[in-house]
Amino acid sequence: MFKELDPLLHSQLRLAVMSLLISLEEADFVYLREKSGATAGNLSVQLEKLAQAQYIEVDKGYSGKRPRTTCRITPAGRAAFEVYVDALRSYTE
Amino acid sequence: MEEKNLSKNESLELIARMIKETRNSMERGGGNIYLLWGYLWLVVALTIYGLLLYTGDYRATWLWFAMPLVGYPVMYFMLKNRKRRATTFVEAVISKIWIVIGVCALLLSLFMFVNHNAFPIMFIMALLINAGVAMSGLVIKFKPTIIAGFVGILLSFSLLLIPGINQILVFAAFSVIMLIIPGHILNAASRKAIAAGLDATESSSKSNKVSNV
Repeated sequence: MFKELDPLLHSQLRLAVMSLLISLEEADFVYLREKSGATAGNLSVQLEKLAQAQYIEVDKGYSGKRPRTTCRITPAGRAAFEVYVDALRSYTE
Repeated sequence: MEEKNLSKNESLELIARMIKETRNSMERGGGNIYLLWGYLWLVVALTIYGLLLYTGDYRATWLWFAMPLVGYPVMYFMLKNRKRRATTFVEAVISKIWIVIGVCALLLSLFMFVNHNAFPIMFIMALLINAGVAMSGLVIKFKPTIIAGFVGILLSFSLLLIPGINQILVFAAFSVIMLIIPGHILNAASRKAIAAGLDATESSSKSNKVSNV
C-alpha cells in the first residue's frame, strides 16, 4: 500500500530547504539560498509556506547592523519530514 | 532552483544532496577560540607564577579571574564578527559542553573564597577542562584534540603529586598541550580543507590516517 506524499514537502525547493534544515541546528536565509540555488523571491515565498504549516520557525533579527533571517526546523517539521521519507521508501521498496 | 514535479527518485536524490551540502560547513579559523583561551591561560598562569615567586603575595592568584573577565568578552566579539550562516548540531553540542564546563569552573573558583582548602583546585580544574577538550575532540572526530584531551586527563593527576607553586607551571603547560597545539592544527586543517572543498575533520583524518570514531 503506497502512502500519500505530503504535498507541502513534495516540491523541489521546499524539500531542499527541509533537507538542509533537518541536519542543522539553524541556518540563515543566505545559506539556504546559496545551497538550494534558489532566487531570493522564490525562497521567501516557500519559507513562508513552510512557516505557515509550522514546519519551520523563522526569526527575523539582526547580525550587527545587518538584518538576518534565521530558520530552524520545528518538531512538527521533523515529524512531517520523517513521514515523507517513509512514504518515499514505500514507493521504492 | 526551478519548481517542477519531482519523481520519487529525484526526491531521494535531492534529500541526499542537500544533507551532504551541510557537511561542508567547517569555517576558516575554527581553532581561534582554542587559541584565545590557550594563550590567555598561558600568559595568566605564567604571570601568577612569576608574581608568587618574586613577591610571595598569595593575592596574585586572584589574577585567575582575569581569564573569564578578558576571555568571555573577546570570545563574544570573535563569535559576533564571524560570518556564520549555519550552525550544525555538532557545533551546538560543543557549545553546550563548554557552557556547562564554564559554569562548573566558575562555581569551583568562587567556592575558593568560602574555603580555599576545600579541594585541590588545580587538579579539579585541569581534570574538568581536559574532559571538555576530550569530549569536544570526540564529537568533532578530530584526532589531535582527542589525544590532547586524554593526555591532559592523565597528566591532571600529576597535579596531586607536585607540591607548591610548581603546580602552576604544570597547569600552564596544559594550555599548550590542550588548547594551543590543537588550535593551530585545527586552523591548519580547516585552511587545507577549505582549499580542497572538504570538511576539515575529514581532511585531517585523511592526512593523519585516522578513522572516524
